[in-house]
Amino acid sequence: MGIPRVLNRKNRILLAELTKTDFKLRYQGSVLGYLWALLRPLLMFAILYIVFAKLLKIGGDIPHYPVYLLCGTTMWSFFTECTSQGIQAIVNRGDLLRKISFPKYIVVVSATLTAVINMLINLVVIIIFALINGVAPTWSWLLIFIPLIGLYLLSLGIAFLLGSINVKYRDITSIWDVLVQALFYAIPIIYPISMVASTSATAAKIILLDPIAQCIQDIRYFLITNETITTWNYINNKFLAAIPILITLAILIIGAIIFRRKSKFFAEEV
Amino acid sequence: MKRQIGTRTEIYDNNSNIAISIKNLHKSFKLPTEQAFGLKQAIFNRLRGIKGYTEQKVLKGLDFEIKKGEFIGIVGRNGSGKSTLLKILAGIYYPEKGEITINGNLVPFIELGVGFNPELTGRENVYMNGALLGFSNAEMDKMYNDIWKFAELEQFQDQKLKNYSSGMQVRLAFSIAIRAKGDILLLDEVLAVGDAAFQQKCADYFESLKTKNQTVILVTHSMENVRKFCTRAILIDNGKIVQSGDPQKIADAYTKLWS
Repeated sequence: MGIPRVLNRKNRILLAELTKTDFKLRYQGSVLGYLWALLRPLLMFAILYIVFAKLLKIGGDIPHYPVYLLCGTTMWSFFTECTSQGIQAIVNRGDLLRKISFPKYIVVVSATLTAVINMLINLVVIIIFALINGVAPTWSWLLIFIPLIGLYLLSLGIAFLLGSINVKYRDITSIWDVLVQALFYAIPIIYPISMVASTSATAAKIILLDPIAQCIQDIRYFLITNETITTWNYINNKFLAAIPILITLAILIIGAIIFRRKSKFFAEEV
Repeated sequence: MKRQIGTRTEIYDNNSNIAISIKNLHKSFKLPTEQAFGLKQAIFNRLRGIKGYTEQKVLKGLDFEIKKGEFIGIVGRNGSGKSTLLKILAGIYYPEKGEITINGNLVPFIELGVGFNPELTGRENVYMNGALLGFSNAEMDKMYNDIWKFAELEQFQDQKLKNYSSGMQVRLAFSIAIRAKGDILLLDEVLAVGDAAFQQKCADYFESLKTKNQTVILVTHSMENVRKFCTRAILIDNGKIVQSGDPQKIADAYTKLWS
């Protein structure tokens, strides 16, 4: 009913406090505490680096490949954390929904903001690694926020869309877990896209139409090396190249509409 | 699967002396008949043409008005629809049919200590709970010491909430709750817990609300409180208003429900 009261004072306070609590609780009771926010992606990177770069010798021709790999895995972790936390947010905060009245999107946004904070911390690590690895800092570094925002909006759209279905059908959480595993291999994170492009240019183009792949490749392009293949420099047709953006917007808009319609009944159904 | 929805409007009209007006309010819930939630069940049910839920009518057409400054007691048996009514007034549930108009800023207490987390310290929980009531950090800073003093728990501020006894948690939650200011207060069974000393504090709080002419809606099973504080009471049974009026008479009628 009516236009949702977008971030008024009360909602802002609530959003900030919920995000703070989520973040605190995440590392509650662990010895290393917030350090895990850094350690997890670094350990993941170490494993992938040993297996793929050292044992399987993939990515030898890409400059600064370790940083390139770390950047990909971090952004992928951001996407998976953002979506899985966001999808479960309504169910996890069921106690609140049943007892106070507030705009429901706040719990979804606060759950995803925790992932954003983690990602920003990791971004600092990537930049340090990049400098150690000899990547020269340029003004184009600032441009990474464009694909980062794109990736966030995509995650938020997915969280709204699947999160509202998950309230009634909890299978969504499990389905998404499996889907994410499959998606991981469909996106050039551990393997360079040039590997696909050398066998089939069409396959590489199809992969690059995926908004997640588009964002990750853009971030690598701006941050690490402009030899990175991106949707923009690989797909010549500008209309086709806009598909990832259109997918993101479509998911966000449809997600928001469905979420808004269903959110009226969350308190009863959760 | 389009569900009909009633309306709940919030207005701010100082000239009107009506605080809440409810017209023909209906509400029913869909109770799933199968225990298993999930897609598989939903698909099977659809294929077989089974609805998969039964409809439970909880509120069957309520009409009433509450004037500013009234202390209303809502009484009724368990399952009569009192709490559902309160949750609809609070904006947690949507009215299925009917019109609700709320004049002024409404602050609901469906439960004490909403959002309390056992893994956080008392201090962190106070700020969290305050945020849920709409207080900013700066406002909480000002009230912070008073909250602990009133709860008589100053020495436990930095303990995790899981180390508090349930009585201590209630005292802390109550101490935060009474800071909330609104034109209309909704209270659901807030008094059902606590020892004699705590009960006395609650009684004092109600007394102060009454003298301030605060508009209050209290859902309770305590006829003692109805007689003592309410200016009017409403008896609800089976989703309908049975009787409304003088709190003494309503309290008598309530007691007779069992005889």
